[in-house]
Amino acid sequence: MRILLTTHGMPHDEVTLRLGAHVARNAGEPTTVLTVAEDEAHRAHADEILKHACELLADVPSIQTKVRIGHAAREIISESEEGHYGLVIVGERTPPNLLARFLSGSTSVRVVEHAPCPVIVAKGKGGPIGHILLCDSGAEGPLAELVPPSTETRKTGPALLARFTAQLADLLQGEEGITVLHVMSQISAGPGVRGKQLRADFEELIEERTPEGELFKQDLLLLERPGVRVRPKVRHGLVVDEILKEAQAGDYDLVVIGAHRGASWQRILLDDLAHKLLIELDRPVLVVR
Amino acid sequence: MQEPREPKMKAPIAAQQRLPTNGAQSLPGEGPARPVRPKLALWQKVNLRKIGLFVVSLYLFILAITLMKDGARGLAPFVRNLFSVNSPANALGFGWLSAYTIMSGSPVAAASLTFFDAGVMNKLETFAMINGSRLGASFIVLFIGFLYVLRGRNKATSLSMGLLSLTVTAIIHLPAFFLGLWLLHAGTLDAVQLSSGALLTSLTDLAIEPIVNVVTGLLPIWAVFLVGLGVSMVSFNLFDRCLPQATLKDSQVGWMSRLVYRPWVMFIVGCLITMISMSVSVSLSILVPLSARGFVRRENVIPYIMGANITTFIDTLLAAVLLKNTDAFTVVLVVMVTVAVISMIVLALFYNRFQRAVLTFVEWVTTRNRNLAFFMIGIFLVPIFLMLV
Repeated sequence: MRILLTTHGMPHDEVTLRLGAHVARNAGEPTTVLTVAEDEAHRAHADEILKHACELLADVPSIQTKVRIGHAAREIISESEEGHYGLVIVGERTPPNLLARFLSGSTSVRVVEHAPCPVIVAKGKGGPIGHILLCDSGAEGPLAELVPPSTETRKTGPALLARFTAQLADLLQGEEGITVLHVMSQISAGPGVRGKQLRADFEELIEERTPEGELFKQDLLLLERPGVRVRPKVRHGLVVDEILKEAQAGDYDLVVIGAHRGASWQRILLDDLAHKLLIELDRPVLVVR
Repeated sequence: MQEPREPKMKAPIAAQQRLPTNGAQSLPGEGPARPVRPKLALWQKVNLRKIGLFVVSLYLFILAITLMKDGARGLAPFVRNLFSVNSPANALGFGWLSAYTIMSGSPVAAASLTFFDAGVMNKLETFAMINGSRLGASFIVLFIGFLYVLRGRNKATSLSMGLLSLTVTAIIHLPAFFLGLWLLHAGTLDAVQLSSGALLTSLTDLAIEPIVNVVTGLLPIWAVFLVGLGVSMVSFNLFDRCLPQATLKDSQVGWMSRLVYRPWVMFIVGCLITMISMSVSVSLSILVPLSARGFVRRENVIPYIMGANITTFIDTLLAAVLLKNTDAFTVVLVVMVTVAVISMIVLALFYNRFQRAVLTFVEWVTTRNRNLAFFMIGIFLVPIFLMLV
């Protein structure tokens, strides 16, 4: 897998590079380290940034470096499109004040929204990845949530975990513990509705063959590989809040979430939970698309 | 509009799929195939019975408003002396408790307008009574849930929707109430009037007056009001039966209920659906069959209730038009505008905190029987206290 690792010479980029080093070791292909300079006058500074990055990435087998000139987010997105990368790793580079954030937006958020491949936003301590929280809603598109996978009507792509294992499984070193989390934010719509499933744990959901239970069964099958410890978990409450609570409580090294849905009407009508999580999580986030 | 209807649950889709399918073949993983229905032309889909019911319910509503208008004067001594409604606080409590008593908010709101028209109440008291009617009306979903709890169902499951509805309504209506008092005092919205009520009111004169004359000739004036109130409840009941019954099977939109929408989207959906159903509880009951299991996302339901709380006053606005009273129209408009303004401020500025606070409170109420008892006692004591001050 080709990995694009970005750095801007900021203090928090140490986290990005440390995390990138851990991920890139298993990539199997050269890792590209990219920095973006505002204009040609800053090229020399960009070279220095890359030199420092290479020192930190000394134990990564194969490294290429690249400087692009222009707007940081736009150039990272262009590079990720042109270079056909399998994964982009960016640092959290939020503008210092509200006005700057309003005018230019966060680089990492823009890259996550527009990059054609999965993106890791490095934040927090950025150490080795041994403990992963995978937040699976079970769907890429609306039809996929309701319709069994065997039917022709399942027109959209596979669920988050299937995409994760298809795109990024090679990066797993076989020693990770993965918690597959499903948040049930539903309540009963009326007083007469029987809500046993609203209080059930994952075992009961599987036993009762609920959509969530079926999802857990599929997830457990997909992640069945030597060395990987998988633990399904259900939480009840608001989706964003429960993911944040679980990330804190479990002290995970990486949180995996799905990207906001891309289809036009969905983009307008559906809440962008990925964006909220990206802003509020205090640890590395992998956004799978 | 009519509040106490228990939501009618349609069979969940899983159960529907277990029904015999007349030997139709099914694909693995799809469940049994459904029998093929012949495609109907548009005119064949029109339900004449429902259209007839709608016409009858509208006629009865106009008749009810006219009867209450004529009978309201006779109730002045009862309202002023027996119930001591002499201030906006009293009127708020009176509207609140009245909605509890008849298990519906809309007839109480309509009655408050007829009291205003008859000079029994002033503008501010009418405004307060309409607000009280909404608070009382949102208790009804909770009451139905409470009956389920008494029959042994789980507290959180049965009461969540009712508690959410009541809590959201109370939190939004409290600041909206004070904003409304100020707006009425300042006369800011006095100039906004609906000028197209002439046709409706001239039709009323032709079709309603003869019946009203008969009733007023037979009964004492105070009894005319009570007959009007009864007719209004019947009209709301009939109107609820006119609404199309949504089922997952028919609507094909069941999957939509599983998604988490932007709060503004659900707010607008709540406004639009309640503009048609005119009842918050009916709008909430529409959510039940839309999901196969009768579940709804927490994230979606609060803005939906906020939107529904605005357009539920459409029927009260119609009542004001029928009364041909411009000040009554202003009062209802102020209620709608203030609730809309406060809701939009909450949505725009601190929706996440508001949502968490409401859900935390609902959870607190359902966690222990003692908390639930405190809450239930509180929602009766507050309106009683307001009536006594």
